[in-house]
Amino acid sequence: MDELILELKNEIIETLNLEDMQPDDIDTDAPLFGEGLGLDSIDALELIVLMEKNYGIKLRDASKGKEIFKSVRVMADYIEKNRTK
Amino acid sequence: MIKSWVKITDKSVTLNGQMMDFPSYGNALLTEIYRSKVKDYPKFFKMDALCKLGFLGSELVIQDENTNRFVPREDRAVILFNRSGSLNADVNFQATLQPDDFFPSPALFVYTLPNIITGEIAIRNKYLGETSFYVLEKKDSETIASQIVASFQDNITKSVIGGWVDCVDENNFEAVMFLCYRDEENKLHEEIKNILSK
Repeated sequence: MDELILELKNEIIETLNLEDMQPDDIDTDAPLFGEGLGLDSIDALELIVLMEKNYGIKLRDASKGKEIFKSVRVMADYIEKNRTK
Repeated sequence: MIKSWVKITDKSVTLNGQMMDFPSYGNALLTEIYRSKVKDYPKFFKMDALCKLGFLGSELVIQDENTNRFVPREDRAVILFNRSGSLNADVNFQATLQPDDFFPSPALFVYTLPNIITGEIAIRNKYLGETSFYVLEKKDSETIASQIVASFQDNITKSVIGGWVDCVDENNFEAVMFLCYRDEENKLHEEIKNILSK
């Protein structure tokens, strides 16, 4: 799980162009949206694309994203249980 | 009257005719200008090269104005021109649409319109005046000057962030941007043409 969390943090930094950020700067349990990383709605769409592209997870119901993107840990947990690649 | 102007190419930066010292080139030059002169707008890193170019051009001329910023105002317009539209972002977006690797990027799609720059500048600075982006066949200084001078006829606009912002790709771009004020002596037209020829 720790390996996946680190991998995910690196992918988030690269995909969302979070320049100047290192994986350690992202709190594993902090909210990704709002107070945490301060991501916006376009970032949410990029994360949905990332899940499909890298892990084969198709998020049909966009409203589910609110739950899945609560934190990197929650996201990693969801990926571990649902990944097809 | 032109208050200040900037020229940014992939190789150099000139503010009011004075060369600024940035050793980088191309896309790295844009990042270097941001880190040196702006620093407080991380959204910069999400912009495409065209938007970064226009954003930095606006920052340099507005900083040079040295007045209170970020106060909502209706009397300032943003009017820009180029030749390549948003071609660079379009090509990058198209690369995410390959049949065997079809993952269209929402972040890239956001920048597949050139007028996003004018919006970014207006949002950052709380400008509520006109925002326009014209795509021309070439850098036609006569058309650009005429359009900007005409924008003052609405009796609301008192100043304009205007100019040329063209990006062929991340390492091939040119911006000539300026901050100008309404001119009662009708010299502005010639001043704009002169700046654009530099």
